[in-house]
Amino acid sequence: MIEVHQVSKRFGAFTALQDVSFRVEAGEVYGLLGENGAGKTTLMRLMATILRPTQGEIEIAGFSVTREPEAVRRRIGILFGGDVGLYSRLTARENIAYFGSLYGLEKTQIAAQIERLSRMFEMEPFLDRRVGSFSRGMRQKVAIARTLVHDPAVILLDEPTTGLDVSAANLFRRMIRMLQEEGKTILFSSHNMSEIDKLCRRIAVMHQGRLLFAGSVDALRQKYGVHDLDELFMTVVEGGGR
Amino acid sequence: MGRSIVWTVFQKEMRDLFRDQKTWIGTFFIPLVLVPFVFFLLGHSFSNVEEEARSHVPIAVQGNGELMEQLKAIPGISFPKTADPHAALQKGELRAIVTIPDGFDEQIARGGTAELKVEYDSGNQKSVYAREAIEEAVAAYSGKVIAKRLQQAGLSAQAIEPVHAVYATVAAEELPGGVLAGVLPLVLVVSLASGGVAVANDLIAGERERGTLESLLTAPIAASQLLTAKLLTVMVMSCASAAASLVSMALIMRFGPFSRAGLPIASLSPLSVLLILLTVLLLSAFFAGLELLLSTLSRSVKEGQTYMSGVLFLAMIPSYMLMPLHPADISLPYHVLPVFNGVALLKEVLHGMPDPAHALLGFGTAFLYVVAVISVSARLFRREGAALKP
Repeated sequence: MIEVHQVSKRFGAFTALQDVSFRVEAGEVYGLLGENGAGKTTLMRLMATILRPTQGEIEIAGFSVTREPEAVRRRIGILFGGDVGLYSRLTARENIAYFGSLYGLEKTQIAAQIERLSRMFEMEPFLDRRVGSFSRGMRQKVAIARTLVHDPAVILLDEPTTGLDVSAANLFRRMIRMLQEEGKTILFSSHNMSEIDKLCRRIAVMHQGRLLFAGSVDALRQKYGVHDLDELFMTVVEGGGR
Repeated sequence: MGRSIVWTVFQKEMRDLFRDQKTWIGTFFIPLVLVPFVFFLLGHSFSNVEEEARSHVPIAVQGNGELMEQLKAIPGISFPKTADPHAALQKGELRAIVTIPDGFDEQIARGGTAELKVEYDSGNQKSVYAREAIEEAVAAYSGKVIAKRLQQAGLSAQAIEPVHAVYATVAAEELPGGVLAGVLPLVLVVSLASGGVAVANDLIAGERERGTLESLLTAPIAASQLLTAKLLTVMVMSCASAAASLVSMALIMRFGPFSRAGLPIASLSPLSVLLILLTVLLLSAFFAGLELLLSTLSRSVKEGQTYMSGVLFLAMIPSYMLMPLHPADISLPYHVLPVFNGVALLKEVLHGMPDPAHALLGFGTAFLYVVAVISVSARLFRREGAALKP
């Protein structure tokens, strides 16, 4: 469903990504693990067609991000962490509906999707309130509903739990599981190994723009003989993936 | 689909803007309420000072003469007794001191010129009014003396007025060309430029800073559709600002303290209105394109604000430079230069003398500038990473 093939991205003399390759299967929740500056967000932006790879190719749902960017955008929903990209003077409903319109959905389809998503994420009490007054958790719910309004097959979540408190982060994980049950393909980036471990069976570990490991968490544990997750991550990073 | 995306984004931008109280304050409250209120307050204060100054004119007169009778005829005049008239003048208790020297009447009777000393405080408006009242009294007294002297010499009043000139203006009666055609382009052009500044800065630099632009560009829409919607939004806000400034100006001219003339827009011909609307449209498109370009270039809202101040200068310089010129004195290069061409055309129309060749030249070049500025803006907006925070 997501095929990353020998992708590099350079900004002038700075290399943000170097020869990254991995594959995410349909219906899978795949973890992209790495410290800040590892290149996770750059990779997400390449997948979202906001940036173009300097070398290599990415295919999403069979479409090339460089040759068919609009087809890719129709099939993905992306949520960037930190700033969730909502309009604070619009209500939750208006924010979701706006993105529905941009994806070419009819009014009745948008209404039905808002109804479904607000039930799914328990947003009914604040659906018609302006987003500016929302807590971080409420904003995150609206942001993910906005990401899903066009029912994308592939969902890209870049550090989605950044800034969330424990209960909001738990709620967010529940939402991911619900989406997994719906058969969505999810690429989930984080710098938190234990969080990735709760959601993903397979992961890619990145460090300073390079891919150090791609495979199952169990295989990673076996390879290094380390069980503690944080220690495992540090072992991979310090060993440069060897 | 393309048009519907532009309309969707435009609708959302307008809704978002009109929910922002900064829009209401900046675009409507300040020009429509605050500016006229300040003018009324200013006028009220001026008329109070004038009324007080006219109704109560305390002066000191040192010496005596026939002139005293004329001074006593000044409405509201009084001659309070003061030990130190100069100290009283400085304190504002007296408005003027008139010194009539010894032999004043005799000098006049001999046919000579007598000197009169009038001291006043030029920093005190009421004292300035007193000086004017004394000037009028002295002029009236001088007129009587002149008439008497002419009579004694067996001459008529015409003897000292060999030429009586009659002056008539050829300016269009309904449009007080001088003032209106000077000020109106300035108000229009500056408000067109300033009305879009905050909006343009928010729509790209602001959205980029808040992370909404990045989310927006992950949707399957073309960057050009997004930019078109944003351009229309900035143009609408620019025109709304210009309209609010016009209404404000009309209110001040109609009900303000300095004029009761009103803004004679209703007397413009349909062709003039059409030419003004076209000019306004092209100017607003030019400023909107330029402001979006600067907003795209700037790395933050703060940086955008700095860049935008240049746009205001671009609007003010042509308006002020052409303000004192009569349309006939505006040379050809001004009809080609950006913004100057709009101001020049507005002046011609408001003077009631639009030149078709100038109009064609102005519209043609203005259209080219609009295309150029929007093309550069679109190119910058479409470049890789334009949506991302630096």
